[in-house]
This record gives sequence, C-alpha cells and structure tokens, in this order.
Amino acid sequence: MFIPFFYKLKEVGIPVTPTSFLTLQRALNHGLVNSLDDFYTCARAILVKSERYFDLYDQVFAFYFEGVPLPDNQGFEVDALARSMLDEWLKDPKQLSDALGIDPDKLKHLTPDELIEYFKERLQDQKGRHEGGNKWIGTGGTSPVGHSGYHPEGMRVEGESRNKSALKVAAERRYKDYSGRGPLTQAMMGEALKRLRNLVPTGPRDQVNVDETIYQTMKNGGEIELVFDRSLRDRLKVMLAIDNGGWSMDPHIPVVQTLFDYARSQFKEVKTCFFHNTIYDCVWEDPARYRKPRLIDEFVKMDPETRFIVVGDASMAPYELMARDGSIHIHERSGKPSIERLKFIADTFPHAVWLNPVPRQMWGYTHSLMTIASIFPMFELSLDGLEKAVAHMMA
Amino acid sequence: MTPKREKNLQFSGANRYVLDPELAGIVNISMTLEMPLLLKGEPGTGKTMLAHAIAENLGMPLMVLNVKSSMKLIEALYQYDTLTRLNDSRFGDSKRDVSDIDAYIKMGKIGQAFTADTRTVLLIDEIDKADTDFQDDMLDVLDQMQFDIIETDQTVKARHRPVIIITSNAKKDLSDPFLGRCNFHHIAFPDPKMMRKIISVHFPDIDNSLAQHAIDSFYTLREVEGVEKKPATRELINWIRALNADKDFRAKDLVKGAVPFLGVLFKKSPDYEKVQTLSPRRRFF
Repeated sequence: MFIPFFYKLKEVGIPVTPTSFLTLQRALNHGLVNSLDDFYTCARAILVKSERYFDLYDQVFAFYFEGVPLPDNQGFEVDALARSMLDEWLKDPKQLSDALGIDPDKLKHLTPDELIEYFKERLQDQKGRHEGGNKWIGTGGTSPVGHSGYHPEGMRVEGESRNKSALKVAAERRYKDYSGRGPLTQAMMGEALKRLRNLVPTGPRDQVNVDETIYQTMKNGGEIELVFDRSLRDRLKVMLAIDNGGWSMDPHIPVVQTLFDYARSQFKEVKTCFFHNTIYDCVWEDPARYRKPRLIDEFVKMDPETRFIVVGDASMAPYELMARDGSIHIHERSGKPSIERLKFIADTFPHAVWLNPVPRQMWGYTHSLMTIASIFPMFELSLDGLEKAVAHMMA
Repeated sequence: MTPKREKNLQFSGANRYVLDPELAGIVNISMTLEMPLLLKGEPGTGKTMLAHAIAENLGMPLMVLNVKSSMKLIEALYQYDTLTRLNDSRFGDSKRDVSDIDAYIKMGKIGQAFTADTRTVLLIDEIDKADTDFQDDMLDVLDQMQFDIIETDQTVKARHRPVIIITSNAKKDLSDPFLGRCNFHHIAFPDPKMMRKIISVHFPDIDNSLAQHAIDSFYTLREVEGVEKKPATRELINWIRALNADKDFRAKDLVKGAVPFLGVLFKKSPDYEKVQTLSPRRRFF
C-alpha cells in the first residue's frame, strides 16, 4: 500500500528506508490508522526522521492525496549552479567557455552579478535542450558544477493550530523554515572533527584504578590500597576563523557552516570569528563583521595550546596580503600588512592550520594562496584533508 | 480514532500537560509498534514533560536517564561495584555474600526499566550530549531489548518492553542507524492559542486580561531580533508567577510596553540589555 507515495518521497530527496516503510505497513495493520489525518502523522513519524524534511513531506503529501502540484525547485537549483559556474569561470574562464561553447571575450566586461544572470539563462537553455544526459545539470558526478545544499539562515517557527485536516495542514507547509536540502555527506565532517578530541588527563584524581588497586592490595598482603587515577577531561580549546566575506567564498559557506555547527558540540570551548579574505588588525565575532571586533594583538592572552583553525580560500589580490593598507576597513590602519598578522597568529598558536575549500590541484595557480600556505600548514577542506589537519594539530 | 482498549493502553494527556492530538497519535503508534520515539524541538516545548505526562496518564513508573557527555553505555545498563566487594572481602562484616558477584551489581536506569515488574516509561533525556558511539550502542540494546552483564555472563532481558522516549536538542541530525530505529517527531513552539491553554492549565484562576497581555508581550519579545536565547514556555510561566506575586502590578502596564521582571525572561546579559533598551521605545508606537 502507498508504494507510489513512498517512491515519491524518495524521489524528492527525503532519505526514506524500506525498513521504515515496512514499519509503516505494520502500523497500518495494527488498526491505529483510521483516517487520512492519522496517516499523515503516522507516516511522518515513521518515515521522516528530521524536521528538515517535514516541509518536503508536506508538499509530497499534498501532491499525492490532493494533487497540489509540487513546487518547482529548479529556481533555487539553477541559482546554486550559476553561482558555482561563476566560481569556475573565475578560476578558469577558458575551460568553462569551451565547455559551454561561448566566447570568453564577450563575458569579460560583465560584472559578477551580470555573469550570474547570464549563466542562469544558459542553464535554462541547456536544460531545455538536453533532457537527461546533460553533464552540466547533473547533481554530482564529474561535472565541475554540482548541486549544492542550502541552509536557511535562521529558523522561525510558529506553532500550529489543530482543528484542520491533514491535507490543509500539509498544504500549508508549516515546516518550510526547517527545510534545507543539505548534502548529507557533510555528516562526515563531524566524524573527522571528533578526532580532534584530545583526552588529556588533567582532571582531579577521583577515579579508582581497579586493576592497580587489586595489584597493590595483593602486594600489601590483603590490606586494601586504593589507587586513584586522574579522570579524563577534554581540555581542548578551539578557535575557528572563518572567511565569510565576498562571493568568492559563498559556495563554500554552507559546507563551512556545517563544519562549525558540528564542531561546537565536539569541544569544551569553541570560539568562532569571521574575517574577509585575510586577517588584518582584527577579526569579528559576529558574522556581519562589524559589531564585535576582536583585536589580533589580544590573541596573546589566549591559551597558546588553543587549536587555531582558519577556514578560507586564501584567494585574493596579492596587495591585500602584502600592502600596508590592504584592508578595506578604514579603522584597520595599524600599518601592518596582513602577511605580518598571519605570521603573528601562526607564531602565537603552534597548533594552527588553514583549511582550504579550493581543491589541492588548483592551489598552484593562486599566488596569495601559496604565500599563505608557506605560513600556515594548509589542508584541503575535505575528509582526507581534515584527517591530515587533525594529525598535524595533534603532533 | 477508535482505540483497541483491551490490549493497548492509550495515552490521552495528563493533568498539567496540554496535549497536542497529533503528538498523542504519534505516541500511541510508537507504543503499539514498540519503537522508541525521538523528540526534537526548541527548549521549552515540553519534550521532557511529555514523558512525565505519559507516565502519569498510564500509571507507569518513570525512569529518567539524563545523558551526560562523558557517559558510557555501561553506566546506563549496570554498575559492578568493585570497591564495596573489595572492602567486604577484606573486612567481611557485611551481610552480602562476597563470592556472589550478583550482589554487587546494581542496575542502571536502562537496566532498571528492563527488570521492573511492570511496564515502565523510560526517558532518555538529551541524547545528543553523548557521542555517536554511545547512541549506536544503546540502540542495539533497545532493539534487542537485552544486554549482557560481562562479569557474570548473564543476559538481562526486558520483562516488559518499556515505552521509550528520547529527546534531543541538537540542530544536527543523529546517526542514520539510530534514526532508522526510532519514530520521529519535532515539536514546534506552541502558538499563542496553545500557549493560552498551557497557561490556564498552570494557572487555573488567572485573570483573563493578565494572561492575554502577558502572552502578547511574550510573543512580541520573542520576535526581538538578535536575541541569543529566546524565552521559552518555562520562562513565561515563571514570569506570570512573578507578575502575580507583585501587588503593584496591573495588566494594563503591559499594553503600554512596560516589561517588569525582565530578568525572568532573558537570562543572558547581552539579551537582557538589548531588550531593555528596546522596550521603552515601543511605548511610542
């Protein structure tokens, strides 16, 4: 029963499993589901395991039982694709123009925004012409532009009022704010960051070491000798500095955001700060980068054992790194070029790494990136890169 | 819904808990399928209270396992009290039989729920605090409804499958195998109408206009942007209690935009300051 419904759920990207579907059948057999309303709640509780998919579920439910057409998700997808195409374009205009069969000279004069618009049009075209096998529209695979996820900035939840039919409720899309089609592979980051957990025995001696106690007691001829160990306590402090400025980092921000969402629960203390392109006199604690500046000079006061992790693409114009007045912020005029600041941070925190979302094979093409890589040990923002970064920080 | 009363107990709300019928349905389905129910939602949406309400309503004993970050699964199952045994073997002045290891095994919360004489409600609170290994291992135990005591090579089987409620505050998802074995529900923050009901359950003889104005201001304050920790149901209840206790206070003041006892609602100092500077301004609108 309801097999097409199940497959529709799967099709729109809700991770449903056959086991849970069988559970649903079991629930139906128990006679607990006697109305469409019951079915709505029951199937949701059993099949959908995250509130992020509640909205999608509502849409499919309304579609399947009422015929409310499924909204077109294309708009957003095209948006994301266009952005990643822009990114590709900036890296290597020639490759992209070859692939799309467009004239690079024609696009030279366009601003980034105009470029995005242009790519969007191209994508719509392409979608029309090539159904199915089009390698540009594919989600994933070898194509340079893939489907990227989306995290709603803030969640706003209103409650629900109850005396409605499930269909009405479903069509209302109450869970819209929770919907976020994030790529699930990001879950691996939590796993990788977990390896950062550095269990250093620094707690009070309050745990009985049973083996040692027995041994010492025997040695004592049966007179009890209690041996205590220090309890393990996670003392690791982490400072995350994230480049959230400008559109050059935009495609990577959802990935980075997941990364530090995970990170927060993994450590005793995680401080997050933000910067734009590179670090000058200060970093900011608020993502908008203007309310809560934090002077770099004050980092000296922090625990040098803090793991300092920078996340950024390290791609910028050379002067931003080298010039004495490279900062776009008017108050950052101490006269120290960014490169000095970065060296200072690397000196202050021996366990500092730079995670770069740019794939390693592209690193050689950017001057600023290579310069920063000579200051900070740089690793790719991938599961492998993270593992290496963690190994480096624990060394 | 026509419940099958002869076999299945049906959960239908409790004294001090305003039950949402959708949630009641999910609880009943989970109980029938004998699957754990995973609840997520903002703090203050009554996740923990639900377990208390189920226990009260169905007359089952409630076991609460408060998960801590350093917790190992074995602590939730049983504890082997080596120290007491060592002590007894040395001094021999206790009534316990030192050669009987069983006498030194104490059941943890999950163990207690398994060995209880009646069906129990087992609340596993804030599972997201523990690491994923804990979660996966525990799910195995809950799936099989049994665990081994290594010291005595015994298997403890659940005499009655407990009703299991698991809560999680986390924004991140739990692991897939975990989710696969649970039913899931996300409790949304109650809307003003629902909140009104909740308030009248807690304060049966509250003045009508006070309740209305308090709830209105409460939802306005929740809308204030940039607040780190929004006030939840618990804060509102405490706030109303404070307003009730203050004899000088009149409900009309709330309409004017005055917010007394702000500290009851906002507990982080930046939040407090932000709202404080904001509230007098509201009077002009």
